[in-house]
Amino acid sequence: MSNAQIEIQLIASLVAIACAVPGTFLVLRKMAMISDAISHSILPGIVIGFFITQDLNSPLLILLAALTGIITVVLVEYIQKTGLVKEDTAIGLVFPILFSIGVILIAKNANDVHLDVDAVLLGELAFAPFDRLIMYGVDVGPKSLWIIGSILIITIGLLIAFFKELKISTFDAGLSASLGFSPAIIHYGLMTVSSVTTVGAFDAVGAILVVALMIAPAATAYLLTTDLKRMLIYTIVFGIFSAISGYWLAHWLDASIAGSITTMLGLLFLVVYLFAPNKGVIAVLYREKQQRTEVSLLTFLLHLKNHTEERERHVNHLNEHINWQKVRSKTILDLALKNNMISFNKNIVSLTEKGDAFTTQAIDFIITNEDSQIEDMKDDFFLFRG
Amino acid sequence: MDITEYIKLVFTDYTLRTITLGTAILGAVTGMLGSFAVLRKQSLLGDAISHAALPGIAIAFLITGTKETNVLLLGALISGLIGTFWIRGIISKTHLKSDTALGLILSLFFGFGMLLLTFIQKQPNANQAGLDKYLFGQAATLVESDVWMMAIVTGICLFVLLLFWKEFKILLFDADYTKTLGFNTKVIDILITSFIVLAIVLGLQTVGVVLMSAMLLAPAAAARQWTNSLGVMVFLAAVFGAFSGVFGTAISSSQNNLSTGPVIVIIAGIFVLVSFIFSPSRGLLFKQIRFIKNRRDLELHKTLSFMFHIAQTHDNISHPHTIKILNNFQGYTKSTLQKLVNKNYVILEGNMWSLTEEGFNTASNLYNQQNPDNE
Repeated sequence: MSNAQIEIQLIASLVAIACAVPGTFLVLRKMAMISDAISHSILPGIVIGFFITQDLNSPLLILLAALTGIITVVLVEYIQKTGLVKEDTAIGLVFPILFSIGVILIAKNANDVHLDVDAVLLGELAFAPFDRLIMYGVDVGPKSLWIIGSILIITIGLLIAFFKELKISTFDAGLSASLGFSPAIIHYGLMTVSSVTTVGAFDAVGAILVVALMIAPAATAYLLTTDLKRMLIYTIVFGIFSAISGYWLAHWLDASIAGSITTMLGLLFLVVYLFAPNKGVIAVLYREKQQRTEVSLLTFLLHLKNHTEERERHVNHLNEHINWQKVRSKTILDLALKNNMISFNKNIVSLTEKGDAFTTQAIDFIITNEDSQIEDMKDDFFLFRG
Repeated sequence: MDITEYIKLVFTDYTLRTITLGTAILGAVTGMLGSFAVLRKQSLLGDAISHAALPGIAIAFLITGTKETNVLLLGALISGLIGTFWIRGIISKTHLKSDTALGLILSLFFGFGMLLLTFIQKQPNANQAGLDKYLFGQAATLVESDVWMMAIVTGICLFVLLLFWKEFKILLFDADYTKTLGFNTKVIDILITSFIVLAIVLGLQTVGVVLMSAMLLAPAAAARQWTNSLGVMVFLAAVFGAFSGVFGTAISSSQNNLSTGPVIVIIAGIFVLVSFIFSPSRGLLFKQIRFIKNRRDLELHKTLSFMFHIAQTHDNISHPHTIKILNNFQGYTKSTLQKLVNKNYVILEGNMWSLTEEGFNTASNLYNQQNPDNE
């Protein structure tokens, strides 16, 4: 690995961590789309900063861009508070208009300079190592490494200092207000950090990758855990993994690094989305099917308990009476048999002692409106689940 | 260039005519369908879909090797639809919320699209130049066949919209009721969503990915302020959208270095701003005026009722009192007193005021809900 390659991977990983922290809270607070809005609407801030300083590397650009990001949030909230439109419409109105203003400003005034909308939006990580920070004549590394590094340190410092406040205000804004720390301050603090991170990171990696790194690892982690600390750790791990594997994918395909990292994030999310143990799609579908079968079983047992006459308990009759398809009734009969809840006597079905006890208890819960207790009860009775 | 000259040019110049027509039709159709997106609280869907369309464009090019607009748009449509339904899958099957799902699909699809685009650029055939016009949109690339395409799609949208108007309307405002009526809500839902995706894909070429979401929202958000009727709203949104397209094209073509997309979006934004401020029933200006008027009325009434309580203690209701009594009373100012005099509720004589018969009667009825004067 060459020096530049290591630096690129290092920058990508640092960006991933810097985005992971605010990203986790944005996802938990249902404000993920704000990151998309900020990443677009900072454009006029950058352009105006450039007009003032005529220098693309001036810190004023970052400052103004971050300020525009915060203005976006304030505008969205103001529009929403007027009650004229809903929050998502407010977001959808504010950022394209600010972005348009930025594009027009560039087109009218900065056409001959190196300020390209494509570059701003898409970024090019591969060039990051060439833009170096020279201090007192000594080359101390790529500039973006320093920018991201400092943002990351501040973010982590704030995270550790305000972890409790962030946690409470995220999950219970009312409680946090009553405990004496204002949810508004935490909210704007988080927005400021998101805005600064977006600005600092997108210079190196482009707006879209910033949005992807803020939302995707956090969403992936959220499918795996509900513990905040663990979610933060997973988010950071997923971010770093995608950053490094994405870099090598880009290397192999000779394609955009930002695009590859996003693609890796996408693949990671897809895998977790499908296969996550409790919240993955397959697990959810399986559980739904199991619950359907178990509800049918319960219906069937209740039917047996309600009818003592043999006519009602004949196997063939059950088919037509409960109106199940053949396959389904066979599944349920098998399940009941496996769990020792019914017994056969010349095609007449009857409840066993265990089946009777189960049904009686279930009826109790249903009558007292404690249906949810049935789930726990199943653990005691079932040897095999549906 | 003055206006008449410009209008003449619109009819004679091929390019200008095509672009004006194209942006007008686009504005109309996005405004129309955007109304549904806004009312269904799917405002950001447009943003997500327009990004999600990118890999479709790239894959369509990779497979066919042509830059035929319709083929690329078909690719965009397919990947936009996949994105949309994946968003729904995420929302319904996991505990991730809609904004996370939107942001996820938006960024992941777009990033994948970028990967494909850069991959295509490295391919030996140099035919790929111009694919990135879909990112930022270039109205100038519109040709007559594109406009025909837009017109046909708009026609189909309009037809379906009119055909299923009742179903769309009822689904918008009461989805559960629609289900109990026996309508297949899923089909109606998929139909309207597909049309929204279609409109977005059509606009990609003209205003580009980023600005498409504004085209979908802004005319609808503006139209919403002027009416409470869905039909009027859809119509107004279409008109606003079409005008944004026409004005935007006019402004951008009258100056150098002004890309059409952003100008159209800003014009649409101005429509929104004007509607937010000046719409009669919801607008901020009239709301403020009503607020001030109500406060003035309240002050007037407060003063009058205070006077009424003083006058009540005397046999003669017109017994004069000094103005000083009122000084400690909130709501009393010189101008409220003057207004009461003008309304003939109070008579001023030097430093003394006295209630008139009319003033007394009004004050005694002030809090009587039956009295229509106090509306």
